[in-house]
Amino acid sequence: MSVVDHTKELSVVEGKPALRSLDDLISKPLETKPDKKFFIALSITLSMMGLFVIGLGLTFWYGVGMWGNNNPVGWAFDIVNFVFWVGIGHAGTLISAILFLFRQKWRTGIARFAEGMTIFAVMTALLFPLIHVGRPWLDGWLMPYPNQHGLWVNFTSPLLWDVFAVSTYFIVSLIFWYVGLIPDFATLRERTSTKIKKAVYSTFSLGWRFSNRHWQHYEMVYLILAGFATPLVLSVHTIVSFDFAVSILPGWHTTIFPPYFVAGAVFSGFAMVQNVLIFVRKIFNYEHIITLDTLEKMNKIMLVTGSMVGYAYAMEFFIAWYSGVQPEQFTFLNRAFGPYAWAYWIMVSCNVITPQLFWFKKIRRSIPIMFVVAVFVNVGMWFERFVIVVTSLSRDYLPSSWAYYTPTYVDFMILIGSFGFFFTWILLFTKALPVVSIAEVKAVVDDAQPSHKGH
Amino acid sequence: MSATQNVDYQKKELPKKFQTVGTVLFVIGLIGVIAAYLTDGSRSAFNNIIMLMFLTSIGLGSLFLVSVEFVAGAVWSTPFRRIPEFLSSILLVLPIVVVPLLFKLGDIFHWMHPEVVEADKILTGKAPYLNVDFFIIRVIVFILLWIIFYYFITKNSKKQDTTFDQSLTKRNIKLSAAFIPVFGITISFTAFDWLMSLEPHWFSTIFGVYYFSGSILAAFAAVTLIVVWLNENGYLVKGLTKDHYYSLGAFMFAFTNFWAYIAFSQFLLIWYANLPEETFWFLQRWEGSWIYFSIGLIFVRFVIPYVGLISQPSKMDPKRLIIMSVWLLFAHWYDLYWLAMPNYSKEGVLFSWIELTFPLMAVGIVILLLVQLSKKNNLVPIGDPKLKRGIDFRL
Amino acid sequence: MSEKILYSYTGIFDTPDEIIHAAEKASEYGFKNYDVHTPYPLHGMNKAMKLPPSKLGYVALVVGLSGALAALLLMFWMSAVDYPIVIGGKPFFSFPAYVPVMFEVTVLSASIATVLTMLFIFFKLPNNAHPLNDTLYMKKVSSDKYGISIQAEDNKFNEADVRRFLEDCDAKEITAVYYDKEEINYKHKILEPKFIGFLLFTALLTSGVTYFTLNKLLYMPPFDWMMEQNKLNPQATSTVFDDGFGMRKPVEGTIARGFTPYSFSGQPEAAEVNLVNPLPVSKSVLELGQQKYDTFCSPCHGYYGEGDSRLRGQFPNPPSLHSEKIRTWKDGRIFHVITDGQNIMPSYSSQLTVNEIWAIVHYTRVLQRALNAKESDLQ
Repeated sequence: MSVVDHTKELSVVEGKPALRSLDDLISKPLETKPDKKFFIALSITLSMMGLFVIGLGLTFWYGVGMWGNNNPVGWAFDIVNFVFWVGIGHAGTLISAILFLFRQKWRTGIARFAEGMTIFAVMTALLFPLIHVGRPWLDGWLMPYPNQHGLWVNFTSPLLWDVFAVSTYFIVSLIFWYVGLIPDFATLRERTSTKIKKAVYSTFSLGWRFSNRHWQHYEMVYLILAGFATPLVLSVHTIVSFDFAVSILPGWHTTIFPPYFVAGAVFSGFAMVQNVLIFVRKIFNYEHIITLDTLEKMNKIMLVTGSMVGYAYAMEFFIAWYSGVQPEQFTFLNRAFGPYAWAYWIMVSCNVITPQLFWFKKIRRSIPIMFVVAVFVNVGMWFERFVIVVTSLSRDYLPSSWAYYTPTYVDFMILIGSFGFFFTWILLFTKALPVVSIAEVKAVVDDAQPSHKGH
Repeated sequence: MSATQNVDYQKKELPKKFQTVGTVLFVIGLIGVIAAYLTDGSRSAFNNIIMLMFLTSIGLGSLFLVSVEFVAGAVWSTPFRRIPEFLSSILLVLPIVVVPLLFKLGDIFHWMHPEVVEADKILTGKAPYLNVDFFIIRVIVFILLWIIFYYFITKNSKKQDTTFDQSLTKRNIKLSAAFIPVFGITISFTAFDWLMSLEPHWFSTIFGVYYFSGSILAAFAAVTLIVVWLNENGYLVKGLTKDHYYSLGAFMFAFTNFWAYIAFSQFLLIWYANLPEETFWFLQRWEGSWIYFSIGLIFVRFVIPYVGLISQPSKMDPKRLIIMSVWLLFAHWYDLYWLAMPNYSKEGVLFSWIELTFPLMAVGIVILLLVQLSKKNNLVPIGDPKLKRGIDFRL
Repeated sequence: MSEKILYSYTGIFDTPDEIIHAAEKASEYGFKNYDVHTPYPLHGMNKAMKLPPSKLGYVALVVGLSGALAALLLMFWMSAVDYPIVIGGKPFFSFPAYVPVMFEVTVLSASIATVLTMLFIFFKLPNNAHPLNDTLYMKKVSSDKYGISIQAEDNKFNEADVRRFLEDCDAKEITAVYYDKEEINYKHKILEPKFIGFLLFTALLTSGVTYFTLNKLLYMPPFDWMMEQNKLNPQATSTVFDDGFGMRKPVEGTIARGFTPYSFSGQPEAAEVNLVNPLPVSKSVLELGQQKYDTFCSPCHGYYGEGDSRLRGQFPNPPSLHSEKIRTWKDGRIFHVITDGQNIMPSYSSQLTVNEIWAIVHYTRVLQRALNAKESDLQ
């Protein structure tokens, strides 16, 4: 293995491609007709989405009784899926906002795609609380508006905070995404020859002119948005964790929940982004834009956040014992050795042990292994939410009400369907919009910035 | 791979007055501390804990910053990496700061009295962790671990000044990667041991993160203070710009927010759930004159630094940075006082010359350490391969 | 046909260093109305063009702070003033619980406002009719070239000088850009039939959809507001019980919680002798009595007990409460009448609690006293 030369910055985009060739490469999927593989993939995701529709139809027609939820376990797959999908979204904002603030240039190749995933993941996540309320057509009541009932929403409820947090998150992510897309729409507008496309791109580019007097404010706004999105992304999963942590249920009420949830969200989000990007870079020949170095860095972040999550598990266990509070102690023993021990150990082995493989450089840079590890991480993070939600509820303070929760086929249909919903959007996205930010990638190609020599 | 780098750095001695000021502060502090111990032993011990935790914050936090720079491959902080390296030498002094406390353990920790533990079911349950022997073992092992990492990381870094060997950077990256998990675990348990177990019935899973957030902020403040002062007076390498200042200011701002986030999360969850086994800790800090002190914490630690650092120009203004970093160091002491002191004085805030002598001594120690280290070492890691890139860093 | 109007002269450069150099020269030359067009933001260009720092940060600050304040005030008003309700034992105005929503509103309002201000106020977008749009120049600077454009409205603009200036900078493809005819004679097309038709169509569509949703859709299963439920409504027949009644009587020998059986049913004299008003005469008791009297008694007996029913003859007027007979009744007798009913007056024991009835009795005494005051009351 060659020694890294620390005196030189690693190229973000390999091989110093000509700027025009980047235009051609990135807009190629938009200018060519989708091939057979695309339709095969789309038909798979659409069939999965079909399951979603059937599962939701059954739920709406017959009621929430179609799910496996029982008396102590009033929150189950619906909330597990909600937290899981919101978590997936967090990687996108982390990449686009936090890494931007840290000036990590390697983010440019993956930022657009990750932001897109954020939006689709949050859309998927938003569905779950909306269907969980039982009568989703009355979801408008979640908003505080003057109404004939003379009622206001309950601002002390973390569930209401969620309404604000997730919708704000969705809107701000969308704005962030769109602001990033404006120059790319303008580039596409100049490239295209068909009339309809030109009209569409002109509309969305708003007549962007690449003026430096605009770029100046544009960069400022990008910085401001990143500055807002960073605390926002922390706040969203923090508030999701408040849904649990403000209660008095052992296993839910613990003060480390906010940072622990955020770390977990970033962890699972990166795993998902990495999984999908491995396909994207291969299919669209973006290997020199989304480089192996980028993937390696993502794996490092997974290692860090995975260890943070492991730290939180350990801390919860230690403090549960240390607290001397019996129900706390019982809850954690019950998690590890009770009826849901299988879920707990899936979670620990997938989330804490597997990512430790990323200590080895060879594994960090091997695409098949990292792919498998990231899949494990996603499985583990889904089970983490399952463990938190279900084990704590199924055995609460009152032993007489304990019950084992078993999901029904409708639960599984909705779970599988949510993946279908998400990946359908992803597939359409790859064909409808540039999945890599053209303007940003050009800016980080070697020698694309002035050298300031001779001044 | 070794190559001499062409950077504009002339080593300059720090002015003599630093040594004098440091010595004076240290001597006054030391005399004051001895006098304090003679007048009121247990109150002094609590102040000693605050000093210990303060010095640990800066020393350990600085070493953490150094290791993060290595692991993340950051370049902007390379030109002044020596400063956190110097600051982490505080870790060498910790054993001396701990010694007086070892004689006063019984006065500080309620759970160190076997008869108390026996009468208290909850404390009996905690005895496997909270007992004198294990406590002392932990303290020794943690400090030893830190010193070992400090020794090797700084040794490699210093060696590079003469050898320009890039493999030393690689070695330090590995050491740092090993240090970070060790750091995470030890700093949490240090916080549990010295601060949380002052009230042995109370518990909070986020407490380690709370102390971590404050520590990193304090370390950033100390580094900023020294770097800005040295650079404004021409002791550092030429070519550091507003962009470097901006980064330091931005990190102080970010960690101010992070601290507020952690502190608010802890408070909100306990306030909301309203469980008596948790709320009593906050209620203690809400009684007598402590209520004003607690409300003051919000302003001292969050509102004032937030307003002071929010605008872009303020993060680049050397004067503002120096004021804010001094303020943040004070705020960290204030925070530690808020964590520790209510366990000693339940009635209200205590303040007299005893509370002043300990900070004096701490500042004296830090100044003396810096002066000593700056005599023998370069203030800039001139052999570091990332140095040139670090100087050229632009936002 | 008038002459074409000149917008600007443009020049193209191949490398970032050249364009930075050209921008520096342009600002040194004293041009004000010129612009540089690059496919991505170039580091150091703002400095080269001597642009003042962006003011958008203030927009974010002001709107963000207003958003936070507005959220706080609204939450205060909604949960502590307009609809106060105790939740989880927390005060009506519980600030810590409002922090999350305040934060979210701050971020939301500041982000939206900053972006909208930038796009629509600072940039005056959308504008696809700008002279530079749809030019070869735009095609190039949108991809891999860097361009400078010096506008004709600049004070120092002079075709020959500008051309020479661009040549001095080694610019390639120096071209003049003119306004399009449409761009000069641009008129808003608000009154076009197409546009009005579009508006009408949208209005019809939205109102139709809203009408259908609110008045039809929500009454179809499964959206039917829970109107169809597997439960027994009052008065409905039941197949579960032998007697076919859906409503059940209490089990024999039991009484409901908080219910005290009345033992003087049908015995007014006994009630008058045995029952004593347990309530003291106090302001709160009389206010309760007044409220209950006004609700349940006044429709027939009138607000002042004079027997002037508001029912306007649909019902026989009851006797006045000021008669000698009723004034001399003891409290127990009045209580009995309210509890047990008398003649056409039904029992009010299911609407009123025992205490409320006693409060009404006190209030009745107040009404009686008001019409037949004693000498001592006037002093």
